[in-house]
Amino acid sequence: MRLPDRVTGLFLVGLGAAAAFGGWRLPPVPGQPVGPNVFPLVIGIGLLLCGLAIAFGIGHSFEEEEEIVPYEGGEAPAPRGKLYGLRALLPPALLLLYVFVADRLGFILTAALIVYVTATALGARWKLALPLTVLAPIAIHLIFSKLLRVPLPIGLLPMPW
Amino acid sequence: MLNTLIQAFNLITTWEVIIAMLAASVYGLVIGSLPGLSATMATALLVPVTFYLSPIAAIATIVAASSMAIFSGDIPGALLRIPGTPASAAYADEAYAMTRKGEAELALGAGVWFSAVGGIAGTLSLMILAPPLAEIALSFSTFEYFWLALLGLMCATLVARSSPVKAIAGMFLGLLVSCIGIENPGGVPRFTFGVTDLLGGIEPIPALVGVFAVAQVMRAMLTPEPPPIPRRKFGSILAGQWTLTKKYQWQMTRGNIIGIIIGVLPGAGADMAAWVSYAMSKRFSKEPEKFGTGHVEGLVEAGASNNASVASGWVPSLLFGIPGDTIAAIAIGVLYMKGLNPGPTLFTEKASSMYAIYLLFIIANIMMIPLGIVMIRLASYVLRAPRSTVMPVIMLCCAVGSFAIGNNLFGVVTVAAFGVIGYVMEANGYPVAAMVLGIVMGTMVEQAFVTSLIKSDGSILPFFDRPISAILASMAIGAFIWPVAVWLWRRLKPRTAAAATTPR
Repeated sequence: MRLPDRVTGLFLVGLGAAAAFGGWRLPPVPGQPVGPNVFPLVIGIGLLLCGLAIAFGIGHSFEEEEEIVPYEGGEAPAPRGKLYGLRALLPPALLLLYVFVADRLGFILTAALIVYVTATALGARWKLALPLTVLAPIAIHLIFSKLLRVPLPIGLLPMPW
Repeated sequence: MLNTLIQAFNLITTWEVIIAMLAASVYGLVIGSLPGLSATMATALLVPVTFYLSPIAAIATIVAASSMAIFSGDIPGALLRIPGTPASAAYADEAYAMTRKGEAELALGAGVWFSAVGGIAGTLSLMILAPPLAEIALSFSTFEYFWLALLGLMCATLVARSSPVKAIAGMFLGLLVSCIGIENPGGVPRFTFGVTDLLGGIEPIPALVGVFAVAQVMRAMLTPEPPPIPRRKFGSILAGQWTLTKKYQWQMTRGNIIGIIIGVLPGAGADMAAWVSYAMSKRFSKEPEKFGTGHVEGLVEAGASNNASVASGWVPSLLFGIPGDTIAAIAIGVLYMKGLNPGPTLFTEKASSMYAIYLLFIIANIMMIPLGIVMIRLASYVLRAPRSTVMPVIMLCCAVGSFAIGNNLFGVVTVAAFGVIGYVMEANGYPVAAMVLGIVMGTMVEQAFVTSLIKSDGSILPFFDRPISAILASMAIGAFIWPVAVWLWRRLKPRTAAAATTPR
């Protein structure tokens, strides 16, 4: 997911401009020298300038040293299709799924789904993934619902405790 | 003084504190030793648990888990050449080279021993530095707080291991996030886009969990599984450590001091301390040619340094609410929730709680030696846990933990969103720690700025003519000009700059 600096820089320019504009439109507080509009304006302009600097490669020379980080354990991953990179979006997608279905399905079933999908995506065989899918949600439910009294949604499959 | 000490003892010698501390230590050791799970993440996932503990027990879990995790990151570094936490990355190569030479015991022993020494040195700095600074800070007004907060934000960009421009951009992003919500000088909804959940603003803790935990699971999806650790028997772990202490006492002290300084600087934490100390050790060593071939000297210095920074990171956190590192950023959130609002008065009004924190740090670092040795001996079993079983559990903890913080599903959305933001930032060289600092300190900067301006009737003169304010102002402005000056200098003299190694 390494994007060229030009792309991230220009994104920041856009975001900064939007923030500055949004801040500028906020109503000032009468009789007060600075209102809620000043801070976003300053931040927006700052972001805009930073974005411009990044897009033009200023400060890039400082980054060279980072390449020496000794993080090369294991072999390089085999080259895969273009969609392989999208796997990274799986965890946030699963969390959003939790938000939308947890109330209906209940904690145990939703959690089991999350565990099973994450485990298989990381290459677990079914012999490992299935017991984990059963045990992990129950263990977490015990800790959070029973011990810490977090009101987890009950849904379709209530726990006997 | 003695009375407060006795009170502090009473505070920490309850079963709740003792059990919480032991459990958190084991948890910290395990999480720290698993590659890819950092000390910050361990602390962030602990937060929902701390809700249900007494204030001192809550702090005890954070202190114990973070100190243990920083040490325990050395274990896979030495055995697999994969640092367990970023704080061990600086010397993982060196430690692994020692293991290959058959000196695994010495490398791991140095890890546990000098970590404990560093942690205690850091605690001493906390005990010595904080009370007198609190005296000074009592006279601070919003003008000083504004400059202090600004200085803190600038520090984070100065010490980041990447482009300072990107660090500043990350900081601005964090500040922008802190703008969201209704908690601003005018009390108007700002950047909420009509979403009711955004009115309350973005909670820092779910944002931190997202940035440090979810982003890590996302990265795991694309990186290959680390190789399993070979099973092996260890000899005596602590043998030879005393000789090392005597031989390298100067290096150890220097590591402690560097660690303390970097810990106190806002935003820079254990990983930075280890990098700086390792580089320093190599630079000033009598035998620099041995570095990289399995030489223990750098390990001593960097190991002492990263644990020292963990404790000293609490100095600005307790005094001003400015986090010394990302772990302290989480600790501040917990302190607020427990009614121990950071500030100089904490040291006078809640002195016994402060002493209890010192004691907790010392106990945690002493406990690190026996527990660390047990962990080293069990490491080959713990590290066998495949990633595909650990990561799903982390996912569940993220979901449930962020929900528990406000009993609100919006927390889970925040975690997911910040997971993506953290992942994209990290992949493109934007330091995440700078953004975290921005999120945590944004409200403070804005409030200090606006209140000051209201007090001074819109004049900016008082920002500069109060004595302490003027000093802090010149430091903050200097911190901003410094990278610009370095950049200009490099631009004008490209040849010489390429040859010289610029310290930073």
